Amino acid sequence: MTKKDTAQAPLTPAVLHILLALSPGERHGYGIMKQVEADSQGKVKMGPGTLYGSVGRMMEAGLIRESDKRVDPEMDDERRIYYELTGAGRTALEAELRRYRGVVAVAEGRLAYGQ
Amino acid sequence: MASEIAVQRYRAWYAMLLRLYPRPFRERFGEGIAQTFHDLCLERRNANRGLFGFVLWIFFETSKGVIMENTTHMTQLSKTMLRSALVALGLLMVPLVASRVVEGWNWPPGAFVFTYVLFFGTAMAYALIARKMGSWAYKGGVGVALVAGFALGWSNMVHVADSENPANLVYFSVLAVGVVGAWLARLEARGLARTLFAMAALLALIAVLLPTGAPPYLNRNMTIGHGVFVALFIASGLMFRHASLAGLK
Repeated sequence: MTKKDTAQAPLTPAVLHILLALSPGERHGYGIMKQVEADSQGKVKMGPGTLYGSVGRMMEAGLIRESDKRVDPEMDDERRIYYELTGAGRTALEAELRRYRGVVAVAEGRLAYGQ
Repeated sequence: MASEIAVQRYRAWYAMLLRLYPRPFRERFGEGIAQTFHDLCLERRNANRGLFGFVLWIFFETSKGVIMENTTHMTQLSKTMLRSALVALGLLMVPLVASRVVEGWNWPPGAFVFTYVLFFGTAMAYALIARKMGSWAYKGGVGVALVAGFALGWSNMVHVADSENPANLVYFSVLAVGVVGAWLARLEARGLARTLFAMAALLALIAVLLPTGAPPYLNRNMTIGHGVFVALFIASGLMFRHASLAGLK
């Protein structure tokens, strides 16, 4: 997967959720999981295998990067690796949301016509 | 409520599971994955919720990730080996199950190992020879030749063991012609077609010249058996000839 491909091709649900979770700012792995769960109102539960597999591929594609390793003041005193969106990641997220809006517009038009 | 000891024990087991990830992935993300797992366990524990079922799900989910990452990092050859190993394992189930249900089928463990090696070798040979060829005729030729060669070698080995007649070893010369012919032909279709026709001719010659020593009522079955193998070698040769005429290797 090249950076160019990522910006154009539809994203997998896991990648989209991780990009969304990181859009307000950097988070560590557990934080991403909790944010995904909150964003999806509990409908998407991502395990560590899926999360870090996706994180690895997203880092290779240049969508996200490691930002820091530090203690989360709201948790225990273990240092955690934080991840953040890159410019390419934000572009890919915006492109995906545009694509979704287009699909929704078509679907709504079709449903309205059907009624 | 799950105790801290239980959480620590699950974390230790989880760390063992993480060792199955490819080394580069493990070195990069292993610590983060273990930490996230620990965080999830603590969250469950603090919420007074049971851990066992949750941990089981996480182990299953992570195992899927382990398989996926290992598959992603595998070379084409490793993937071919894995597929061949799985196919061989599937085929091995036939004698394995049969030995449980058929009376008098008592293979020693070594026979199963030997059979597995034969299945694996045949599957690998097919995958390595046929994978670069786009022609279905060539692939079909390889498949039929390997299956026929495998069956001939196998049945002959069993026959030699049963009859203790070393004269039957002459059938292995058919396979030797196949191996040498394939090597000389450099796996090109035209040369392989000639090799398979030569194998068919040699087998027919052996069938006619070699005294079977079998009772007359078995001769008919043996003639049919020989005929089937000759037909398979000819069919394989014709497929290679077709691939050759189509302008492929």
